[in-house]
Amino acid sequence: MKFTRLRFDLLMALVFAIATSLSAQVTSERLLNAASDPGNWLTYSGTYQSQRYSALDQITRDNASRLELSWVFQANSLQKFEATPLVVDGVMYLTVAPNDVVALDAATGRTFWRYNHILPERTNPCCGAVNRGLAILGDSLFMGTIDGYLIALDARTGTVNWKKKVVNYEDGYSLTVAPLAIKDKVIVGTAGGEYGIRGYIDAYNARTGDREWRFYTIPGPGEPGHDTWEGDSWKRGGASIWVTGSYDADLNLTYWGVGNPAPDWNGDVRKGDNLYSDSVVALDPDSGELKWYFQFTPHDLWDWDSVQVPVLVDREFEGRMRKLMLWGNRNGFYYALDRATGEYLVGKAFIHQTWTDGLDENGRPKVRPEAAPSAEGTKVYPGVQGGTNWYSPSYNPKTGLFYLSVWEYASNYHKNDAVYAAGNRYLGGIPRRIEGEPGYGAVRALDPETGDMEWEFRMVEVTNSGLLSTAGRLLFSGSNEGHFFALDAHNGEELWRTNLGGSAYASPITYLVGGKQHVSIAAGHSLYTFVIGE
Amino acid sequence: MKTLRIAIVLALAACTLLGQHEEVKNLHASPEDVVAGGRIFFSHCAVCHGLLGVGDRAPSLTSGQFRYGGSDGALHQTISRGVPGTEMPGIYFDGVEVWQLVAYVKSLSMSPEANTPTGDAVAGQKIYSVRGCSGCHRVSGEGGRSGPDLTNIGGSRSPGHLRTAILSPNEKVLPQHWTVRVVTKDGTEITGRRLNEDTFTVQVLGSGERLLSLPKSELASYEIVRESAMPSYQGMIRGDDLEDLMSYLVSLRQRRAAQ
Repeated sequence: MKFTRLRFDLLMALVFAIATSLSAQVTSERLLNAASDPGNWLTYSGTYQSQRYSALDQITRDNASRLELSWVFQANSLQKFEATPLVVDGVMYLTVAPNDVVALDAATGRTFWRYNHILPERTNPCCGAVNRGLAILGDSLFMGTIDGYLIALDARTGTVNWKKKVVNYEDGYSLTVAPLAIKDKVIVGTAGGEYGIRGYIDAYNARTGDREWRFYTIPGPGEPGHDTWEGDSWKRGGASIWVTGSYDADLNLTYWGVGNPAPDWNGDVRKGDNLYSDSVVALDPDSGELKWYFQFTPHDLWDWDSVQVPVLVDREFEGRMRKLMLWGNRNGFYYALDRATGEYLVGKAFIHQTWTDGLDENGRPKVRPEAAPSAEGTKVYPGVQGGTNWYSPSYNPKTGLFYLSVWEYASNYHKNDAVYAAGNRYLGGIPRRIEGEPGYGAVRALDPETGDMEWEFRMVEVTNSGLLSTAGRLLFSGSNEGHFFALDAHNGEELWRTNLGGSAYASPITYLVGGKQHVSIAAGHSLYTFVIGE
Repeated sequence: MKTLRIAIVLALAACTLLGQHEEVKNLHASPEDVVAGGRIFFSHCAVCHGLLGVGDRAPSLTSGQFRYGGSDGALHQTISRGVPGTEMPGIYFDGVEVWQLVAYVKSLSMSPEANTPTGDAVAGQKIYSVRGCSGCHRVSGEGGRSGPDLTNIGGSRSPGHLRTAILSPNEKVLPQHWTVRVVTKDGTEITGRRLNEDTFTVQVLGSGERLLSLPKSELASYEIVRESAMPSYQGMIRGDDLEDLMSYLVSLRQRRAAQ
C-alpha cells in the first residue's frame, strides 16, 4: 500500500512536471518545416520560402462560392492595417497598429490577451504608424516598434520578456517590418529611407535580446561598394528595410530586399550606383556576412525600393533544376535569379515602363537619360508607387505560376534640392499624379521562366493588397475598392467575392482550426475571417 | 475670467503640442484649491488610489515620486489623459478642476506613506525564489504564468495592497485573476485563469499554460471561482522576511520608455 501510494505520488509529480514544463511552442525546426504544417501560419510569409502558398485544400474551385464570414476582429486603430497575423495551434497573434499585440482564438476571434505599447507623443514615420507583423520562436513573440524598440513578449500571457531600444526614432529610424526568426536569432531591419538614415539589418539573440550582428545596407569606408557613394552621401543614403526577408536553410542564406537611396528624385549629391540600395542582399544568418547581392535599380532616381518579398522556388529552369529567386520589382521588371550565386537568369517588364530600353545581359537596366526627374516634371511609367510594391506576391507549385499585384500608371517626377536635417524628411523633389490618368490595378500571373503574362484580373482602382494561393488552386486577394475575392489560380476567373467596406493593405493568410480551413484578411480597420458555410 | 481661460488654453496647448509640460506652472494651488481638488479626488480617484492617496489597487501618491513626472504640467497631463495601457483613465474637465486635482495630489506628498516596507530587496528576492513564487508568477520573462505577472507590480500596486495580497489573498481578487473550473461533455475537467468570456465562449490559460477557447455549448458544467488560487502566507512569512519580500516586490518597477 505504501509502495502504491509512493508510486502514485511519483506519478503525480511527473504529471505535474510535464504539465508545467511544456516544450516551446515553435522550435526553429518547426519553422524550417512550416510548409508541411499548413494548418498554422508561422512566419510573415507563411514559410521561409515566402511563396505565400498553403497546402490546405478544403476550400477549392468547386466550393469557394460558399465562403461566408466566420468572425471579425475590430482593431480600435485608425492606422492602416498592414499586418499579417501568425497562427499557432489555434491561437492567432496579430499586431494592431501602431504597436499593440493581441492573441485571439482563431476559431472565434475572441481575445485571450492584449499588449499595449505606448508611443512617445511625437514620432514621425514617413507613411503611417504601421506595423506588418510578428515573428515567433519558442514561446516568444517579437515585434519592432515605431519608436525603435524590439520587444519580446510571452506568447501565453502577452507580458514583456525583454525590450531593447535598437534604433533612434528621433533621427528618422523606425521599425515597421515583421521580424524573421532564424535558428536562435531574430532578424530585423530599420525603416526610414525618406529621412536620410543609413540602413541596416540586425540580428538579436532571441533569449536575451543582445545584438549578435549588424549588416549596414550602405558600406562604410574601406568596405567593398563604399565607392558607389559620392563624398559623405553614404552617411545618409537611406537603403531601409521594411518588408520581411526569406531564408534557405540548405544554403544557409537569408535574403532581404533593400529600400531606395536618399534623397529621392535627386541623385546629384550621391553620384554612383549607391550600393546596396534597391538590391537584394544574401547574408549568412550566423554572422551577417554578405555572400552576394544583386542591384535592380542602380542610382535610383524614382524611389523604387526593392523591399519586395524574395520568393524562393526550386523548379526546372531551361531544362535543369535550379534554386531560383523570383522577384517582381517596384521598378516594373520581373526577375529570376539563381539564389545560390545571385546570377541573373531572366528579366522582363510586367507593366508598361518608359524609364529604360530594357535590361542588359547582366540584368542591369539600360536607363533612358530623358527619364530622369526634372524641375518642370518628367512623366515616367511606372509611377512612384511602382509597377508593384511591398504587397506579397505568391508562387503556386500546382500551377507553376508567379502572381503579383500591379499598378499601371505614371507619375510626373519633379526634381528639387534636398536639405538634410536629422529626423526630418530628406527629399530631392516630389512625384505628382497625372490629372486625368488615374491608372488601374490588376492581379497578374507570370510564367516564372520567361516573365510572360499568362492572365490578368483587372480592377478599376489600383491595389495595395498582397496575395495568397492554395493547393485548392485558388488565389485570394483584396482591393482598394474593399473587395476580398477568390480567383481560379489557373486562369484568373473570379469564383467568389465579398465587399468588406475598407481597402485591403495587407495579404491574406489561411489556417486550420477545429479541422476546418479558414481564410483571413485585414481590410479597413478590421480583420475578417471566412470559412465554407455548412 | 476670459484672460484666465485663455491662460488655461495656452497652458494646455503648450502641454499638448510642444510637450513642454515641465515648464507649465499651476496657477490654482491655493489652500482653497487644494480643498476643492480633494473633493474631486474622493469622487474620482480614491476608489483606486485610496482615500488619502496612500495607494491600494493603484500606486500610492504620497511619496513625492511620480512615474510619469511630478511637475505640475506632467501631473496635469497624466490626470487629464490617463495612462494608456493601464487601468488609469483620463478625467475630463475643461476648467480649473484638473489643476486643483494637481494641487491636491502634490499636497499628498507631505503625508507619511503607510505600509512602506523597511526590508532589504536583495534578501527579499531570495525569499521570493526560495518560497517558490516564480512557480506561478513571472518577472521580466522568467517564471510561471498561472498567477499575475509581477514585472511592474511595484509601479502598479501600493505596498498595502501587496501586503494584503500575500497575507490574505482572498480579500481582494480582481476579476482578471478569477479562475474558471469546467467539465466538458466528454468528462474532461479544465481549470484555468479566466482571460476573457462572452455569452458563447470562455478563454482561459489552462493547465500546462495552454491558451484554450471553450465553447460553452460543449460544457457539462461551468463555474467561476472568485477566490485566489494563491495560498495565504499569513504566519508562514513573517517579520524581517516579510519586510524583505515586500521590499523586493515594491522594487519591481518597469522603466518607462525614454520620451
